Amino acid sequence: MIGDGARERGNLTSAWDSRGQSPRRTKCDDGETRSGLYPVKFLRTLASLRLTLWLIALLGAGTAFAYLREGARTWPLVAPLLLLALNLLAAVATNGVFRRQIALLVFHLSLIVLLLLVAAGRLTYLNGHAGVTVGTAFDGVLAASERGPWHTGELSKVSFVNKGFTIDYAPGLQRGATRNHVAWADMQGHWHEAEIGDQDPLILENYRFYTTFNKGFAPTFRWLPKAGEAMYGSVQLPPYPGNQYSQAAEWTPPDSSVPVWVMLDFDETVLDPERHSSFRLPERYKLIVRIGSTRHEMQPGDSIELPDGRLEFDGLRSWMGYRVFYDWTLPWLLAACIVAIASLGVHFWQKFAVKPWDA
Amino acid sequence: MERELQILWTAVAAYVLAGIIAVIGVVLGKRPERAVLGLTLTGLALQTVSMGLRWERLGHGPFITMFEILCSNIWSLMCAYTFAYWRIPRIRATAAIVLPLMFIMLGWLMVTHPGEGHYPPTYNTPWLFIHIGLGKVFLGAVLVAVGLSCVILMRQAGIGITRLQQLPPNPQLDELAFRCMAIGLIFHTLMLIAGAIWAQDAWGRYWAWDPLETWAFITWLTVAFTIHARLAYRLTPPMHAGLILAVFVTAFLTFFGVPFISATPHQGAV
Ligand code: HEM
Repeated sequence: MIGDGARERGNLTSAWDSRGQSPRRTKCDDGETRSGLYPVKFLRTLASLRLTLWLIALLGAGTAFAYLREGARTWPLVAPLLLLALNLLAAVATNGVFRRQIALLVFHLSLIVLLLLVAAGRLTYLNGHAGVTVGTAFDGVLAASERGPWHTGELSKVSFVNKGFTIDYAPGLQRGATRNHVAWADMQGHWHEAEIGDQDPLILENYRFYTTFNKGFAPTFRWLPKAGEAMYGSVQLPPYPGNQYSQAAEWTPPDSSVPVWVMLDFDETVLDPERHSSFRLPERYKLIVRIGSTRHEMQPGDSIELPDGRLEFDGLRSWMGYRVFYDWTLPWLLAACIVAIASLGVHFWQKFAVKPWDA
Repeated sequence: MERELQILWTAVAAYVLAGIIAVIGVVLGKRPERAVLGLTLTGLALQTVSMGLRWERLGHGPFITMFEILCSNIWSLMCAYTFAYWRIPRIRATAAIVLPLMFIMLGWLMVTHPGEGHYPPTYNTPWLFIHIGLGKVFLGAVLVAVGLSCVILMRQAGIGITRLQQLPPNPQLDELAFRCMAIGLIFHTLMLIAGAIWAQDAWGRYWAWDPLETWAFITWLTVAFTIHARLAYRLTPPMHAGLILAVFVTAFLTFFGVPFISATPHQGAV
């Protein structure tokens, strides 16, 4: 059933049509065939189309394995991909098909370029999360992040202001459109504004900021330390409505040693599961503040004295959680994909144009 | 909703009738091609009306529930096959195989609950139509290849050899099936690219090996495997046909299995 993989077959050209020519041989003193033979022979073996086939199968198995074992995501994919790349490069170097069928060559080369770009992306990417309270600026600090070993971007230079957002909810608390108003200054100091959300990230210096379903309430304070300057700050409570029943957090004011525990207490229904609604701040609320064993109830404007300063409750705001993503390869990946698909299309077009479909 | 469903079941009846006539045609050595084409076109027209009414009523296309996904895929597969049926007359007898194959999906559709689902905000983008549309062309191309492959395999098994004589010899069917797989490869690749662009916009990453992405990639590899196997081993038509069926099964499980067994269905609905 299985042929030997050579020769012409209909209008298909075989992969081994250059096999007939024997490689140039040089005899050595000891009678062994040497240089000029082994490298070429090795290249040809490495270039085998049958090897491609089994490496594709290996990549499939590696993909399934990586999927089933979350801890082993790298090598089951990287090893077969590297082998495929070597196999392909060897084929490009030795297989005459690629010289006669330029579109096919371009397609396969773009696969290699894609692979290199993905690798470069993995080495330099950044992926993280940041919460920004409305009315304040993203200050370059991420709550959590992972990055490639060679990430060199300067996130600390990136800044934007969260100017507020709306999120629609359909009955059943089904989240609808997110519209987030943001502003930022460019290098020349000119301010720009935009609405981002759902499909539209904010892109600054190759960093992409995506709104997420993480958002919530943030009590805002003015902290007047006994020594030092007064400052504003906010405490982002756990995401709402996901953590509806645990709207509390503990934090310590800057340069203070006293931990402060705050809880937002409100009775009203902010998001009604029965009807269409929008994310908003509660209208009637109080802030429960516990310091050590003392409990306080605060309204906007109230303040409490701590051993090392005074804490004034300024009011309640909301915060938005952003996903931050950096990968400079994105436009290049797209370009490589376009070249790949165009060359594949041209290859098949040329091949099939020879004989009509309904011949 | 009643009226939509009534129209849909009438469309299903037209498809089933077309399938039965196609089978009877092959068994009796007749060519009821006009009737089959007429009935599939009628089915398509009715199904389009039914889907349009539902779209109008819910305000979104058939992309959310199993019922909608099945229904829209039956529609696109029927479109793809009807197109091939119309454009390549010499393979029309494959309708006796492809249409009964579609009965499985039609039966599945009939037992699926036609309720509504939540339309996630990330679906408000043209990429939804581009990505899904490309996937439908891929599946349609593979379906035509499957019809041709089944004929090759039936001949190999000695089933209905004389009845299938009205179809071209195996090498020609094999070449056509290969062409369909080539189209499939192009559209599957495009679907992956469009999906990655959409995922980057919607979720801030272009590829994350979620279950559907993983299985879509494996499906893509099965197509690459089939194309290279045919070249590397000069596969005989029955071997090639077997591989095409394997691609179809993988694609079918990816399209209709994975989204409904996985807890994180492509994050779309989250
Ligand atoms: C996994 C990704 C790959 C894909 C999707 C792919 C796709 C294709 C396609 C579509 C063709 C054209 C088939 C035809 O016109 O009949 C082809 C041919 C070919 N591929 Fe690949 N390929 C891949 C990887 C490789 C690798 C790693 C090699 C390395 C040897 C390779 C070597 C070849 C050769 C030599 C041909 C020409 C065969 C001939 O016409 O005789 N491919 N490939």
